[in-house]
Amino acid sequence: MSAPNCLRGLVRPSATIPISAPRSAAPRAAPIGLARPAPFSTTALNARRQDPNQQGGGGKGHVRQGKKLKLGKFKKTAVESKGKPPLPGERRAYRKRITLSNDNAIPVPWLKDIGADGLANAQNIARVLALPEEVQDQLRASEAFKPTQCWGMFRKPSLLVRKESVDLMNRIQTSVDNKQTLRLVVTGDKVTGKSMMLLQAQAHAFLNNWIVIHVPEGQELTTACTEYAPIPNTDPVQYMQPVYILKLLQSIKRANEKILAKTYTMTGHPELPQNITPNTPLLALCNAAKEPDSAWPVFQALWNELTAHGTAANRPPILLSLDGLAHVMRVSDYRSPAFERIHSHDLALVRLFTDTLGGAVQFPAGGAVLAATSRNNAPRSPSMELSLAQREAEQAKREEVPQKDPFFRGYDDRVEAVLRSVQVIRLGGVSKLEARALMEYWAASGMLRATVDEKAVTEKWTLAGSGVLGEMERAALLTMRI
Amino acid sequence: MVFIFGVNFHEQKLVKKALESFYALGPQTSERILAKYYIHPRAKIGTLPPKTLTALTAELSTMTIEGDARRIIQDNIKRLRDMGTYRGRRHAMGLPVRGQRTKNQTETAKKLNRIERRG
Repeated sequence: MSAPNCLRGLVRPSATIPISAPRSAAPRAAPIGLARPAPFSTTALNARRQDPNQQGGGGKGHVRQGKKLKLGKFKKTAVESKGKPPLPGERRAYRKRITLSNDNAIPVPWLKDIGADGLANAQNIARVLALPEEVQDQLRASEAFKPTQCWGMFRKPSLLVRKESVDLMNRIQTSVDNKQTLRLVVTGDKVTGKSMMLLQAQAHAFLNNWIVIHVPEGQELTTACTEYAPIPNTDPVQYMQPVYILKLLQSIKRANEKILAKTYTMTGHPELPQNITPNTPLLALCNAAKEPDSAWPVFQALWNELTAHGTAANRPPILLSLDGLAHVMRVSDYRSPAFERIHSHDLALVRLFTDTLGGAVQFPAGGAVLAATSRNNAPRSPSMELSLAQREAEQAKREEVPQKDPFFRGYDDRVEAVLRSVQVIRLGGVSKLEARALMEYWAASGMLRATVDEKAVTEKWTLAGSGVLGEMERAALLTMRI
Repeated sequence: MVFIFGVNFHEQKLVKKALESFYALGPQTSERILAKYYIHPRAKIGTLPPKTLTALTAELSTMTIEGDARRIIQDNIKRLRDMGTYRGRRHAMGLPVRGQRTKNQTETAKKLNRIERRG
């Protein structure tokens, strides 16, 4: 269904849109020749076409309406000018723009910034906290914000600290303290805040001066919309995605500028276009990638430096995250020269992520690998769904662990190997206490014009399917996310 | 503007569409050519390195496309005509060949069925 047409249906009838007048309202004394039925048309253009009074000839009775079938051999070129078309990329930029503040919203006086420990502190559960300016810039650079989230309604981007977020941050913090790598998948129903959980984890990482590498959309890697090329001397052949990796390197550089400037290389990298000697800041290493051709070697050098062991003292913890896991857990749309589809795990960047998620790579100073599933435009990945369900059942120590369907062929061993030992967090609705905190914040920002009491909270909480956050926004803020 | 196989294409044109603009080169073949040279299906011509462009031109020059493919079809029609078959005659008359009615709707046949077939 096309969105503009749907929206037009909701628009209040105004003077510009002709609507058929009721019969009783028609002038009774109208001359017989002018009497006609009310025009049945929804747009101004059609109404004008139908209106016989505006016809040029006047004498012609029959005028064909709508699209005319052209039987002649030569088609006439359309003369109707539609104004200046948008420049290449302009529409996409408009669609993907992210607004983080609204000057018309009321500033919330009691809103506090998140501290370094803010998201891991159980006292902050059911509180709304604001993101500090610097972290906002970093999150923006790592593309953690999504255009579907309604940041643009409030004065300052703020987060609701949930029970699950404190749980996640504590798990991450524990693994960092023990210099281990947490491997975890965030899953849950639609609009329950899975991407937001990744954002919170990233905010926590930025606040604690960790290095964050975030792949904002798994599908950008596997739907064959960016360049790919084989990596020489790999068997089986792996593929790099030079343009995407250059973009990723730049976002890593912008998001982690300060920490990268303070971290130094262990070994030299004479193979890179710009000779990198030992004890060069990693920022300079990132800057070595100027062209897509050199992006993959530079990225690999950066990755090797970050994961080099025996250097735990001066390597910061790392957070590696990816949104839209199902897309990287399937056979990609890329083709090999033999015209066979390339498995996503043969794409070098995806392999790097899945290896880490599978536990093959350990970060020297600890850290976390997070992945979030998505419920929008996600391909079916039976192995992933099964593995996540199995891990969940194992974690809950349930009697029955889901098993493979013996009559189904679509399972993928490589996916199962990756997800064999990950932790799973399933997100659902928030508690009423958390819902209340959030609604109070909305009301204080002037976005919810109602008294926030027990009844209102319960109403919205119930309307939202026991507190599914996105649905609460839809019910209370009237955001029509189309 | 970029030349592939002697034809000038705009830089914003999709490589796949550019390849399919050649006679007798359809979606199947173009997909295989793209895969052979590691070009993703949504690549535009402007993004291709010159090396790939020359490789594409070389690849196309080995294939039976454009004039060669047209000539094969014309030869086939000519052969039918020379043998004096019904199909050959119908081609010469610009009428449907495979038993369709001719009262209406023979525009495609009129356009295409002739001895020196164009498309």
